[in-house]
Amino acid sequence: MTGASAYNEYLPRPTKITAIRRETFDVKTFSLEFLDDTGRFSYQQGQFAEISVLGEGEVPISITSSPTRKGPLEFTIRAAGRVTRAMHELEVGDILHLRGPYGNAFPFEELKGRNLYFVAGGIGLAPLRSLINMVLDSKRDFEKVKILYGAKNPEELCSRDELANWNEIPGVEVLLTVDRAGPAWTGPVGLVTALWDAAALSPENAVAILCGPPIMIKFAAAGLSERGFPDEAIVMTLERYMKCGVGKCGHCNIGGSFVCTDGPVFDYSQIKRMPAKEGVF
Amino acid sequence: MNTYLLRKVDVRPLLEEAAADWEIYAPLREESGDVNFKALPKADPAASLENLSLDDEPTLLSPKSLFFPQSETMFSFGQGGIRESVEASPKLLFGIASCDLAGILFSDGFFAKDFPDKYYLSRAEGRLIIVKGCLRPPRPGSCFCHSAGTGPFAEAGFDLQLVDLGAYFLVEAGSERGEGFVAAHERFFARSGGSADPIREAEASNAAARSRAVKEAAKGALGPGVAFATALELMRDGDFEKNYARIGERCIYCGACLYVCPTCTCFNVVDRAVDGEGTRMRTWDGCVFEGYTREASGHNPRPTKAARTARRYEHKLKYDPLVAGRSGCVGCGRCLDSCPVGIGMSKFIREVADGSEEM
Repeated sequence: MTGASAYNEYLPRPTKITAIRRETFDVKTFSLEFLDDTGRFSYQQGQFAEISVLGEGEVPISITSSPTRKGPLEFTIRAAGRVTRAMHELEVGDILHLRGPYGNAFPFEELKGRNLYFVAGGIGLAPLRSLINMVLDSKRDFEKVKILYGAKNPEELCSRDELANWNEIPGVEVLLTVDRAGPAWTGPVGLVTALWDAAALSPENAVAILCGPPIMIKFAAAGLSERGFPDEAIVMTLERYMKCGVGKCGHCNIGGSFVCTDGPVFDYSQIKRMPAKEGVF
Repeated sequence: MNTYLLRKVDVRPLLEEAAADWEIYAPLREESGDVNFKALPKADPAASLENLSLDDEPTLLSPKSLFFPQSETMFSFGQGGIRESVEASPKLLFGIASCDLAGILFSDGFFAKDFPDKYYLSRAEGRLIIVKGCLRPPRPGSCFCHSAGTGPFAEAGFDLQLVDLGAYFLVEAGSERGEGFVAAHERFFARSGGSADPIREAEASNAAARSRAVKEAAKGALGPGVAFATALELMRDGDFEKNYARIGERCIYCGACLYVCPTCTCFNVVDRAVDGEGTRMRTWDGCVFEGYTREASGHNPRPTKAARTARRYEHKLKYDPLVAGRSGCVGCGRCLDSCPVGIGMSKFIREVADGSEEM
């Protein structure tokens, strides 16, 4: 066995916050650049990183920037727990530590020539955004792209400017819905699954890519299935409490899989083989 | 495989001599009366060796903590940046049972695969393992190594293995490193076989025959055991939700079974810091705890006692065979012995194999 001389996967590298963009009242997008030059950070769409606020702890966060875009790494983070609340206290120029990237990736080559439905709920747009921008960077390789996005209320929609920009791209349609409308909201009200008809949802030559709260994924996946999508054409990324990100700490275990190393991206056929009692959704 | 003879009276002097080169862990009786793998102090190993136990007494804790401590510093941070904290000193484990060797080998595989765990591997690097097979089950009624295929004597994976023949041990060398240890302390080891001395040779061949008999008798001393293979087979597709619900209601979620288990390696990670100077630590954690899967949002994908109980048994008996190619249970019996309410693996395996309700 190799020991003391080996690479230590658990040591994070320092990064500087170069920009902070407020998305909603409790969600911000952080742009990070490495301070060291100990190696490239080469990632794929759908992967995540472990981000530390030293002294507070470390959390797994999906990378929301696209691998096809030059520029800083971006992470969209809700102030939910101890570490993420501490992140929200930070300012441009402050230091975060990072290691990764970890996990598998969304399919990409396999999506070419297909109609794509992105189905997102709340902050679940963040992991999809990496793939969406990657797809849009070579849009001609794909058929229609529809982005179905729901949030609790209009104020909790993330990336609003970008959603508007995407909607301007030929062959791209953005459909929004909220659970509770405000006075200024003129769009649909209801769960994201209520957008199926407005999106003229069809399983023909299509792949759906999902991310959102467990309950949303559960109903959206079942709904797509009812509409004739094969299990392999329903792709989702799972969230799970995790510590190490590298298949060791055990927390994200589902059945014989680790969400961190076997996932976080799974298709519906893989999900169906997981034991339901483990609370996959 | 070469074999040697080691007189029991020479064990303490041998370890005393070896203490100069090794960090030695051996089963030592503590003041409480418990026997555990403790480090021999380099300064005065002889005094500690007074408490050496060679009599198949149960060690309360498995030796896993020698490579995966209950709590360890991963790195420190502060003004000086991030400073890695890795311990690497060659350890000699003397007198571990064959079930515990199986546990160590299982954990080796887990920590070495995919993303190698530097903390574990550094502590394990350069180690020497001397197994002592059990003549009598250290945890009668709880341990079942013969059913789990992990004992009472090991087939491989050790550096040296001791077979108790009364006044002396037959020593089986299982690796080059084991041979090296014998060579380095050769005055304590008589070569068994190949001696020019006909009397020594007769004694040695007698020892080999006696060793085989002792191993057979040790198996017999374990009793009928449990239908382990049957249980693993049934766990693949069987429905044991009622068992999980019933056991889950009785469990008090103290986590003792996880802490004493040789192959439970789940951990939590926490930062401790004062004024920007601090450490990142990892500590043992366990799948039976409610907070183990609870997310920051409050959502808990495994919220019921039954689901957490299922996790524990299915991980060891259903998913480890699928993923690692062997069961995560090595049959040591510590879970049952340590459980305040009488829950344990041997009972669960009987429930699965014969449909009984033992817990």
